[in-house]
Amino acid sequence: MINQIPINLLRFIFLLLAQLLIFSNVNFSSFINPYVFPLFILLLPFETPRWLLMLLGFSAGFALDVFLGSMAMHAAAGLLIGYSRPFLISIITPKGTEFEISPNVYAQGLTWFVVYLGVATTVYLTFYFLMEAATFLNLFFLVLKVILSVIMSVAFMLIFLYLFSSKKQRRFV
Amino acid sequence: MYNLFRFFLRYHLFILFISLEVFCFYLTYRSQKYNQAAYSNFASGVSGRMYESYTGITDYLYLRKMSDSLVNENAALRQKLIESKFDNLVDSARTIDTTGRYVQHFTYITARVIRNSVNQASNLIYLNRGKLQGLTRQMGVFNSNGIVGQVIGVTDNYAAVMSVLSKDFKVSAKLKKSEYFGNMHWDGINSTTATLEEIPKHVPVKIGDTIVTSGFSELFPRNIMIGTVKKVMMKPDKNFLDITVNLSTDFGNLSYVYVVKNMRRNELQLLDSLVKRND
Repeated sequence: MINQIPINLLRFIFLLLAQLLIFSNVNFSSFINPYVFPLFILLLPFETPRWLLMLLGFSAGFALDVFLGSMAMHAAAGLLIGYSRPFLISIITPKGTEFEISPNVYAQGLTWFVVYLGVATTVYLTFYFLMEAATFLNLFFLVLKVILSVIMSVAFMLIFLYLFSSKKQRRFV
Repeated sequence: MYNLFRFFLRYHLFILFISLEVFCFYLTYRSQKYNQAAYSNFASGVSGRMYESYTGITDYLYLRKMSDSLVNENAALRQKLIESKFDNLVDSARTIDTTGRYVQHFTYITARVIRNSVNQASNLIYLNRGKLQGLTRQMGVFNSNGIVGQVIGVTDNYAAVMSVLSKDFKVSAKLKKSEYFGNMHWDGINSTTATLEEIPKHVPVKIGDTIVTSGFSELFPRNIMIGTVKKVMMKPDKNFLDITVNLSTDFGNLSYVYVVKNMRRNELQLLDSLVKRND
């Protein structure tokens, strides 16, 4: 359990830099704003207590906010998925599944991960874009932006997962 | 008392969640109210250094484009030199005393863009100039192609600029041909167009007409390029035209900008306060 801290810290720094220097810097389109950063919160160990999930989501989002100049919008969205992550996992996981320490694409399977990332990213981005626009006008634009951004974000997240996940099938008993 | 205690114990996670969310909303919308300056002071100080070193690397990729735009700018400036003008003053008996006739009204500070975005609902630009180089809030920013934005926060060495592509940005603009003026703001979707409002219906506007700054605000001098007319809409229930403007600045590709310093700003503000007091 102890060696989870350096792994997650490393992942946090890597995702923060990737988000700042690549995904928030490359100009895809006004409809496509990919955010890979929520992956940090989504890949925390299953056993993480809920208060810690919320605090980590909040502070990680705040770190991103400081660099992007968006005050506390990412902090609010990160806090929301930190809070709702346990619900989400319990809904989409079949009963009696054995877990590894952290979510792993080789252990949980691609389908589980696509649903997991898809739902969590949709929640995150909908909340973030709504806060950013601060209005419900232009709803069509917002919906299209969320859909396209979620597709791109999940695609980039899956690439990250297949590049950096460990293949060892070590079951957590 | 016991029930209250039990309530807190049972819902402590939800209460933590709600209170942190409320805190986030407070920070976000408070900063928007104060024109986002509150956090830029904090944030641009922290992240300015990182972005500057990053831009130091990526600048090499755009050297050709940058030198092209500088050459164009030089050519435009050369045209304005007195040597490039033909003197057709024939009336030699009348001499004009040029000393003291022209007083410097605007000066320009050059700055480099170290961070930029175009995809957000309110886009921020960071510059590598700040308080120590003479920047303050409420200064206009433009480059050789057109207007860029307005300074909203400064630290010692960095400044945050609210780009034209922000939902709070407004600028007074006029049609170069007919001098009719209106308010221009961004429509929030496309990073190449903005909307010009308050031009009366009887004004003839053609597609391709030039839009420039009016000089009515203290931010920009007169006649700085903004863009060209892309589309004109006439709605029967409104007294004004809806004009879509093609912005001439390419916001995806900013490198060097000029910050406008208005030497008469204090006097204008004094006048403002005098008028308000008499109301």
